[in-house]
Amino acid sequence: MSEFIEFSLLGLFSGGVYALIALGFVLIYKCTRVINFAIGEVMMLGAYFYYTANVIFGVSPLEAVVLALISISIFSLIFEYLVLRPLSGQPVVSVLMATIGLASIIHGMVEATWGSDTVNVPRPFPSMRLIFGDVLVPGSVVTNFAAAVVLIGLFSVFFRYSKTGVTLRATASDPVTAATLGIDIRYAQRLSWVLAGIVGTIAGVLISTASGLSPLLSAGALSVFAVIILGGLDSVLGAIVAALAVGWMESIVVGYVGGKARDVVPYLTVLGILMIRPYGLFGTRQIERL
Amino acid sequence: MTRLTKLTRREVVGSLGAAGAAAVVSPFVGDRALAQSGDIVVGAGQPLTGIFSFAGVAMDAGLNDYCAWRNENGGVQGRKLRYVAEDTGFKLDQSVAVFKKIMASDKPNFYYCDGTPTSKAVAQDVLDAGTVMTTSTSCASVLCDPVNMPHHFLATPTYGSMHEILMEYISREVKGASGKPTVALVYSDTEFGRDGIPASKARAQKLGLPIVEEIITKQAGIDVTPEVARLRRAKPDVVIFQGYVLSPIPDFIKQMREAGLSSRAMGTIWSMDKPTYDAMGAIGEPWAGVMPYRYPYDKESKTIATIREFVAKNRPNMAHVSIFYLHGWLSGMIFAEIAERCIKEGKPFTLPNMKAALESIRDWDAGGMTGVTIDLSRHQIASGRLYQYNASNKQMEPLGDWIKV
Amino acid sequence: MRIGVFHETYASEESLLDSQTQRAVFAVFLAAFLALPLYGSDYVLAMVCIVGIHLIAVIGLNIITGNTGLISLSQAAFMGVGCYSVAWAARWGIPFYFALPLAGALTALVGVLVGLPSLRVKGLYLAIATLAAQFILSFCFREWESVTGGVGGIRIPRAYLFGIELSGDRRLFYLIFSCVFLLGLLACNLSRTYVGRAFVAVRDRDISAEILGVNLLRAKLLAFAMGSFYAGVAGGLLGYFYGAVTPTYFDFGLSVFYLAAIIVGGLGSVLGSVLGAAFMTLVPEVLRVATDLARPWFPGLAGLLLPMGQVVFGVLIIGFLIFEPHGLAEIWARVRRAFVLWPAKT
Repeated sequence: MSEFIEFSLLGLFSGGVYALIALGFVLIYKCTRVINFAIGEVMMLGAYFYYTANVIFGVSPLEAVVLALISISIFSLIFEYLVLRPLSGQPVVSVLMATIGLASIIHGMVEATWGSDTVNVPRPFPSMRLIFGDVLVPGSVVTNFAAAVVLIGLFSVFFRYSKTGVTLRATASDPVTAATLGIDIRYAQRLSWVLAGIVGTIAGVLISTASGLSPLLSAGALSVFAVIILGGLDSVLGAIVAALAVGWMESIVVGYVGGKARDVVPYLTVLGILMIRPYGLFGTRQIERL
Repeated sequence: MTRLTKLTRREVVGSLGAAGAAAVVSPFVGDRALAQSGDIVVGAGQPLTGIFSFAGVAMDAGLNDYCAWRNENGGVQGRKLRYVAEDTGFKLDQSVAVFKKIMASDKPNFYYCDGTPTSKAVAQDVLDAGTVMTTSTSCASVLCDPVNMPHHFLATPTYGSMHEILMEYISREVKGASGKPTVALVYSDTEFGRDGIPASKARAQKLGLPIVEEIITKQAGIDVTPEVARLRRAKPDVVIFQGYVLSPIPDFIKQMREAGLSSRAMGTIWSMDKPTYDAMGAIGEPWAGVMPYRYPYDKESKTIATIREFVAKNRPNMAHVSIFYLHGWLSGMIFAEIAERCIKEGKPFTLPNMKAALESIRDWDAGGMTGVTIDLSRHQIASGRLYQYNASNKQMEPLGDWIKV
Repeated sequence: MRIGVFHETYASEESLLDSQTQRAVFAVFLAAFLALPLYGSDYVLAMVCIVGIHLIAVIGLNIITGNTGLISLSQAAFMGVGCYSVAWAARWGIPFYFALPLAGALTALVGVLVGLPSLRVKGLYLAIATLAAQFILSFCFREWESVTGGVGGIRIPRAYLFGIELSGDRRLFYLIFSCVFLLGLLACNLSRTYVGRAFVAVRDRDISAEILGVNLLRAKLLAFAMGSFYAGVAGGLLGYFYGAVTPTYFDFGLSVFYLAAIIVGGLGSVLGSVLGAAFMTLVPEVLRVATDLARPWFPGLAGLLLPMGQVVFGVLIIGFLIFEPHGLAEIWARVRRAFVLWPAKT
């Protein structure tokens, strides 16, 4: 029984980081209806910026995080301007492929600049283990989860109460009406990309300080697609719930069946869910008109 | 906007035409000179770029340098070795195309493949040609098959043999917490990881070593906390890692130590290189494992001393000699030895002759590189020694004697 | 200059090659191409064979994604199914002319299963369902050792035609390209049939199509079946070509490669598939030649070949999407149109 509790806790905690990544994706989808296949690569790029600032240039962790966030924001803005602006209005497959192209470019750039070896990134926070009897949760997992919770909490507050947050939500639910009411939807869309980049960077930094940094980090985001579909493409709450669920499921599967099935189980679940609730657990039903 | 489209269109068409022409013409234009008579050609498809570039560059250097050194020292019975290599990026399409290219233009007698998929894909072509012996970086037992792949040999033990060596050492030297030492196997879900496991388990069973946990993970980029939780419950005395070069071993070990596990961690050949043991040293771990060769700083072997000299003179920028370099050098030595034995007996370079020459290498002293003498009759070098990291001089020191299986 | 091409019957208007010049040029090209094994170097031949194999898979994907608008991220996994089926068929001694269609049929079955979610979802959700299928099939390839040989891969014995062993690229070239021509013709013909037009209707406005009497589910499943059949045949040919494959070949990266090929080449047309497949396979080659030539000035460039390749890949995709959304086929069509009135300009 304690085994089950341990695996469950581990899973739920690691789901926190998934929730962060999924949040980035959902943000972009809600505000711009763009499906971003490059979330893994953006996460990795942010983590590499942090690594460069912290390890190579010796900047303190906090400043390094700020620098990384600024760099990623600039990068997101450039991408949004150069690529997404010309492609707005194009069919879904085009924009999707554009993000796949972006993923490829980032991956190549990262490998060319930093090489494909794994590097160690020191942890900026102290590590707090949790022990309840026979159950041990390692410090890195706890701090990652705590950071994720704090960040998601901040975002929720931001969305709900700040003026910019309301602007973003308005643009997300109905861009045309928002524009009529005088909201600058271009600005809102740019901002959503920047915020997604920020969230992804923090997730990347959290993961890389726990398990090392290499270009393979982007592959960790593949399970996030399962999370997103499970939760519904445009629901923030769905992303969080689904992330915890997928994290828990992965952990239980690894614990009882073995690491081989780790990738497959979230996707099997996705297929199952798609038959019962096609738009995910919390997604809004898409109504098509002629 | 129309101007922009026109410009773009012409540019695109023009550059496409030029690119297409270049791609079609180049293979004809870049043809190498035909092999001079007498030269022994060693071809290679190395992953000079891509995920295994750290290995490919070193192996390329090793093989290249051996050919150069041998030519400086009399060649093979007077005949020179010619090394021809191309980049494959570790992609199967590329590797096979490179193989066909080199086979057509240089007609090599020996070919070095970049891994298991390539070795298997070109096997049929090699058998059809009937004049080539091959080896590769992979130590997979599926390649060590004198019946189905008579042209292929391994310049190392198979992964299975290496695990057998580990098990032998563990049963002789490691004291269990209670009774026989318990073993946990942690391996990646790739051929690199899984190939040696059946032999490993068989030998463990024969020696009465209980395997208390078997953990399979993805290749890399993973979060290992649930796996460590399982290890923690199993409380093994020794944890053997297979199928990883560096990551996620340090992660695993850090979490294991944090969880209070005091198991010894061991690995095999490709995880015994300097980047790995340095990283282990950085986290304070006395990393150990099985190595079929001596280390480049070893003082007892003539070949290793030769290698050190050559590298110091010709590659001053090479910070350290990696295991992959040693592997390339030794592969070159074996190629040359096969060629020499054939020439001495006056036999032409055909597959049956070369295979016989290979299998006649039974007690060959290759300058002490592998500790004991080399026996290639079963198409692998089934010997190795345990080494352990010594934090005071930051090097790997031998643990016990050379073990043959 | 296009003269004397006047259509007097519907049949002649629908024909694939409709002017004398076009037919003549095509005949010359065909003759030169089919004679390639006689004068081409081994390396060129090997590359052309690989392009041919990828071409079949790309045509299949174009049917699913280009014609019917269903984004499929699992074409590589379908190829894998075809490859393993051929390995098994060969083990039971079935000759290649039955084994290849059998592999195609089996893969079509798998394709229909993967396409079943289109019953309930469309667009991105369907794409993710195919992504799930890709991962699940990859998992099966790695784990189902009794059938697929697991991570070690599987051997495929050589194909035999009336006792002649089809070994060596020169003979396989003919096998591969007969399949290419047959299947390509089939795909070209698709646009002239009810089924093909139904596909396009589903892509453009599926609700209207349903009102007009097109059975949506049947059309979508048929598209998946056809596309996977092509992938299965391509996988089978890959097996005969390499003789031994491992499951790592059929990964998500290959699916992305195929998707990029149809985007660059042009969605919905066979010519687009041809141009896209050839272009995407040749780009790494061109890069290699370029880095080789630039070696005296930039010696370290060769080490960056793979990352550079990835950057170029991404730039190509984005470039084509922004500047030429209809792909290389559109560029080709524009060039041809320029020649219609040549030497006059308007």
